[in-house]
Amino acid sequence: MRAIPTLKISISGVRGVVGQSLTPKLLTQFAQAFGTHTGSGTIVIGRDPRTSGEMVKHAVIAGVLSTGSRVIDIGICPVPTVQLQVRHRRAQGGIAITASHNPAEWNALKFISSTGLFLDAGQARELLDIYHQGEYTKVGGAELRTVEEVEGATDLHIKSILDTLGPLPKSHKKLRVVLDSCNGAGSLVGPKLIEALGAEVIELNTTPDGSFPRPAEPLAENLGDLCRTVKEHQADIGFAQDMDADRLAIVSSQGEAIGEDYTLVLATLYVLGREKGPVVANLSTTTAVADVAKKFDCPVFLTKIGEVNVTDAMQQQHAVIGGEGNGGVIYPRINFARDSLVGIALVLHLLAESGKSVTQLLEDLPRYSMVKDKMSCASDRIPAVLRMVRQEFATFQMDTRDGVKVIMPDGWFLVRGSNTEPIIRVVAEAKSEDRARNLVDDVLGRICFTG
Amino acid sequence: MKPLKIGITGVRGIVGETFTPELAVEFAESFGTYLDRGRILICRDTRPSGPMIRSAVLAGLLAAGCEVVDLGVCPTPSMQLAVKWLKADGGIAITAGHNPWQWNALKFVRSDGLYLNSTQGEELLDIFHQGEFAKAGWDTIKQVVQTADAIEEHVKVLHESFAADAIRSKNLTVAVDCCNGACSFVSPAWLAKLGCEVLAVNDNPSAPFPHAPEPKPETMAQLRAVVKAGRAAIGFAHDADGERLGIVSDLGEPLSEEMTLAIAAEIRLRKKTGSVVTNVSTSSAVDIIAARHGGTVVRTPVGQAYISEGLIEHNGVLGGEGSGGITVPEVHLTHDSLAAIALILEHMAQTGERISELVGGLPRLTTLKHNVTVEPHRLYSVLQEFRAAMEQERLEIDSADGIKVTLPDGWVHVRASNTESMIRIIVEAAEEAAARNLLDWARDRIKR
Repeated sequence: MRAIPTLKISISGVRGVVGQSLTPKLLTQFAQAFGTHTGSGTIVIGRDPRTSGEMVKHAVIAGVLSTGSRVIDIGICPVPTVQLQVRHRRAQGGIAITASHNPAEWNALKFISSTGLFLDAGQARELLDIYHQGEYTKVGGAELRTVEEVEGATDLHIKSILDTLGPLPKSHKKLRVVLDSCNGAGSLVGPKLIEALGAEVIELNTTPDGSFPRPAEPLAENLGDLCRTVKEHQADIGFAQDMDADRLAIVSSQGEAIGEDYTLVLATLYVLGREKGPVVANLSTTTAVADVAKKFDCPVFLTKIGEVNVTDAMQQQHAVIGGEGNGGVIYPRINFARDSLVGIALVLHLLAESGKSVTQLLEDLPRYSMVKDKMSCASDRIPAVLRMVRQEFATFQMDTRDGVKVIMPDGWFLVRGSNTEPIIRVVAEAKSEDRARNLVDDVLGRICFTG
Repeated sequence: MKPLKIGITGVRGIVGETFTPELAVEFAESFGTYLDRGRILICRDTRPSGPMIRSAVLAGLLAAGCEVVDLGVCPTPSMQLAVKWLKADGGIAITAGHNPWQWNALKFVRSDGLYLNSTQGEELLDIFHQGEFAKAGWDTIKQVVQTADAIEEHVKVLHESFAADAIRSKNLTVAVDCCNGACSFVSPAWLAKLGCEVLAVNDNPSAPFPHAPEPKPETMAQLRAVVKAGRAAIGFAHDADGERLGIVSDLGEPLSEEMTLAIAAEIRLRKKTGSVVTNVSTSSAVDIIAARHGGTVVRTPVGQAYISEGLIEHNGVLGGEGSGGITVPEVHLTHDSLAAIALILEHMAQTGERISELVGGLPRLTTLKHNVTVEPHRLYSVLQEFRAAMEQERLEIDSADGIKVTLPDGWVHVRASNTESMIRIIVEAAEEAAARNLLDWARDRIKR
């Protein structure tokens, strides 16, 4: 019999259901392991507004303090704000308390190293080893440090965006923006940023009370209210954030959700217009990113799936922009993190400086349709599935760094096993939705017949 | 063996060694489970481990579904009063009281403001050991920690319980040593409000303890100097959390912590005779004082919860222990050094009697205390062996708490500490030489 999973401890952190497996003891021990791993320095802690956030925060603070570390508690804020604070304060690490797009009953710890990046696979394995060994640094007496509660961490975030990009040009008419923060961590800072940039903001779901007015992922099907509000108010653009405000999706002035993979496309368009340089995305990101790069004669590097892989490659290649197709934009001049606030600023600058609408900007680019699907598949069956795909599509160009990506003249598809669930995912992109759907269905059909 | 004591008086240990955050988390979860959620107050003293343990306790209580009100740093008795006026279901005091600064502890208070009794303490331990705690889901968990001020109300209750105006009219010069503990926030300001000329030392709650937070003559040298230099009418010494009180007389004599109860009993019984409730280990001076005023003495095992229950059962007029903890029932049924100060100042103001005069009229016995550190797994065997030795000598044993025997010259009490892994020996005799002999006699019969 399989238990319903309510706890996931992996190299991406610890994630679980509150009131079930995500107990304060587990959390405090993980925090002790992290304090032990970072070596008793300063650790920045921030959280999203989930109802369990206060409990989780105190469990984490107790664990971190017990190792002799100092805690800087920056309260409710986006994950990228925590990452920015870690670098700004030269802290030894950070812990972001958020289960990003998981439903309300979940919460999680995400561990950030002194560089402001999430722990890489090696560091995360060390942390897990320390946790499992259960031997944590313990200090007493005068070696115990205290908690510093810091307000205004998000103001620093806004300031660093404005310092780098400046406000929107005054010549242009004031942009009208609808922001849907999903009552998440971006609820307070998001509207502030948009106003600071010099645009008008209409707020939707900006009460950070831990309620989920819609599913947290900014997928097109979850953005009905935003699309309606944009049309109602005749706004120039709509933005949707997820619960921890690292991902961003865009709705055009016509009330159309353009797909979260196009956030990076528009951000890239703006950044490469300012300065040329390498672009990094992952294997399942839309080809439109490469098309934009080509327009500016800039190289594109595609990495394995996972934020850490993207940031690693961005550092190696000295990329000027990067990100993921899920709406995660990484602009290293401001923050080496997926950052919806940075995404908002880049896209608003693009609109203001080009004088074009989202729809007009997209018309200048080749449009693709992406179709994503999945089917259940035990982890031990995955190698056979991947071998089948390699054999049956052997005549096409292939990328096998993460699953199998088959590149055809009129589109591509990627087959890979999930790291977290017993499923296999298929993503396809083509000029038309029908063609993309056909590619996915064809592969899924072949998987069904694989022994 | 490293010190950790999980017992009916709570959980106590050295932070950085045995007293870990997960232990504090699980005890808080146990307590939240025991009280079936509800509203719980927390407070702490000024130890450097306070913020860490506070967060651990908050995490545990919130996870169990409790509503938490954080009173910040304040005396434990202030929290015990607040449990009643804030209509809370219980409270947790984060303080190791008189233990050295490396220690910390959790002390559990129920809805009437008193500590859990021994049966309740055992029920709590059962939940802790079973490890099955109440767990709030995302839709029932409390999202914020509330705060409140317990000190103002505490002072108000004291002013209602004693003749504040009488004290105010005398402009007494009073020295106070807060040991940089929780009373730093209360005593100096409150005494000034009572019209006293206040000579405060060690009243900086963010500084470390200047000496052991245990009021007794060895730790009162500084207070004694202040009393003498400032010609104070009296000097008071606090522990870290406002339970125990030490006294320096107007002559600059640091009094034994046993004298605090003797003084309080004399003051109280002169006005109103009745039962004084104390533990088996406390000086017999209180018996002599009670007899003089036609009162009686009720003896309980060592521990505040027993004193509280004894006061209820016998409708006592005063409670207290030889450690310097005094309970004045008009205020509440728990040790409260601020209530003890008010009792003494009221007496001084109303009668004009100097504290040295009052002490001069009290019986002076010699009480000697000695601790024998014992490996935790030997603690109770050592006691059993001592009992066997007593039985062999055909002595009559009082076993209300540990082993107490009365000999022609005085008495000997041997018990296991509730808070540390040690055997406490207390002997008392009229003369010091006789007391020394009794102590040697007892030590010879304790085999580590």
